[in-house]
Amino acid sequence: MPEPHPSDVPDEPPPFLGTWSRVYRAVMVYLALLIAGFYLFARAYR
Amino acid sequence: MRTLDWVVLVASLLSIIAYGLYRSRGSNTVDRYLLAGKSMPWYAMALSIMATQASAITFISTTGQSYVDGMRFVQFYFGLPLAMIVIAAVVVPVFHHSRVYTAYEYLEKRFDSKTRALGSLIFLAQRGLSAGLTIYAPALVLSVILGWPEAVTTVCVGATVVTYTMLGGIKAVTWSDVQQMVVIFAGLVISLVTVIVLLPRSVSFGDAVYLAGAAGRLNTVTTTFDWNDRFNLWSGLFGGTFLFLSYFGCDQSQVQRYLTGKSIAESRLSLLFNAVAKIPMQFFILFIGAMVFVFYLFAQPPVLFQRAELARIGKNGAFAPIAGQYQQAYETRRQAAFALVEAHHSGDPAAEERQKAAYRAAQAEIDRTRSQAARLVEQTGGEAGFSDTNYIFLSFVTRYLPAGIVGLVIAVILAATMSASSGEINSLATVSVIDLYQRYFKRGASDRHYLLASRAATLFWGAYAVLFAGYARRLGSLIVAVNKVGSLFYGSLLGCFVVAFAFPRVKGTPVFAGMLAGEAAILWTAAYTDISWLWYNGIGCGVVLATALGISALRDGAASTRPATPRSGSPRPA
Repeated sequence: MPEPHPSDVPDEPPPFLGTWSRVYRAVMVYLALLIAGFYLFARAYR
Repeated sequence: MRTLDWVVLVASLLSIIAYGLYRSRGSNTVDRYLLAGKSMPWYAMALSIMATQASAITFISTTGQSYVDGMRFVQFYFGLPLAMIVIAAVVVPVFHHSRVYTAYEYLEKRFDSKTRALGSLIFLAQRGLSAGLTIYAPALVLSVILGWPEAVTTVCVGATVVTYTMLGGIKAVTWSDVQQMVVIFAGLVISLVTVIVLLPRSVSFGDAVYLAGAAGRLNTVTTTFDWNDRFNLWSGLFGGTFLFLSYFGCDQSQVQRYLTGKSIAESRLSLLFNAVAKIPMQFFILFIGAMVFVFYLFAQPPVLFQRAELARIGKNGAFAPIAGQYQQAYETRRQAAFALVEAHHSGDPAAEERQKAAYRAAQAEIDRTRSQAARLVEQTGGEAGFSDTNYIFLSFVTRYLPAGIVGLVIAVILAATMSASSGEINSLATVSVIDLYQRYFKRGASDRHYLLASRAATLFWGAYAVLFAGYARRLGSLIVAVNKVGSLFYGSLLGCFVVAFAFPRVKGTPVFAGMLAGEAAILWTAAYTDISWLWYNGIGCGVVLATALGISALRDGAASTRPATPRSGSPRPA
């Protein structure tokens, strides 16, 4: 391709929680809480 | 459509298209046209990724899905956050460091040219079909509102989308998506508030939720495992994870979005935003469908929501008794709903259970009568597997929403779809030019030549999508059809990328054979078994892995199947 890609793609830490692995763990906990909430919601209104 | 609706609709669409054209300024090189010069911030990519999925199908089909089947479709998205984590952690750094335009370009760096070509062709076949479905959905909107034949509206919408896409590059598409999402969120909130306001005065919001739940419309989690059940906790967590891994990791229409990021961190954040926001958004949309269901407990809905088919079978002698039964069933259900609310407030559990049973029996009778009408459609020359799911929300919007709001909702549906379609067609053109045309037909041409080729490819794929859209109405619920079509192809692509990232010593020929075997396995499963399509991705991926690792082991000995340190210079996961 005539125009080259930008050659340097910087990696940075996340803007919160310090490390990416902590962010990923937080997302997993969030998913677990969401599913639990939906389960209780479905039970309450069935 | 009233005059105010037309004013709002035309003004909204013109402003969105004008904004898109304005943002497309400067996209005069291939790098800027296809990757926005790697300049996009995370929030623009995040909303663009979300907007690509929140097309007209989201509004039209998801709400209808909830109306007829309840909210259990939300489980389909449970695997999305898990997939996003894997992609953010493993895939994003590899693609960024590889400095590729397309996901399949990476396959040649990692394996060989034939694997790249096969991956590209699988993507083109799958995404081309999906683009047809995306264009069909707003055509459906116009046909319901204007009464035009769907074929005419499909061509009109398709021509508009292709023109817009040819003029604007990925940067224009992305920034337009940001604007779309703001309007979409506003439209969702207005729709929900309106449907609640329109309920009878004696039915509170709490009563509406109770009635939806009693009719099985709030079934957000089903823990029972069943291979043939499309939507349950397990198919969502496992099947959904594979599907979204494939979608966000191997589908150029999504990969191209996060390749435009300024940095790896910006791309990761855009994906993780979707991991957090997508499920609540789908829950909200499905909840609107459930509330539309409750609304129609007290305002008689038509036997079928597709007016053209209803008018056609209305002339048939067999329809009169069905209509009579339906009228009676509706009245019975309406009375039962009021009685159930009263029993619920009375605090008498026995009376409540009695009324709940009567209410459910009345709903079953309504469902039975609607099925009879659907069968009559099929028996009198209509399409096999007739479904009016996609017409339910539209019917509600056009009949009950106030002037101005109808125009706004229709504008949101149309504009969102134009944006989603333009992204799809843009990615199809990118793969056609970068992975096939530039690689096999015309190497070393000028930047201007490839820019023109990209625009020509956009025109080709737009025409292809319009042609396939003519077939889309035979596929039932559009939201299911889109994901089902994707599942037929994604598994083998996913398997290929898993081998690429996790087994550095496996070479091109074993994975190429694995992709062919995986695709064959998926097509066989779809044709000869009742296994739900959500599992196709896992099956396809598993067959690719088994075949590629098996052949590799036979060729190179058992040692080559173990994960090992990548060769010097080869891309590696972070």
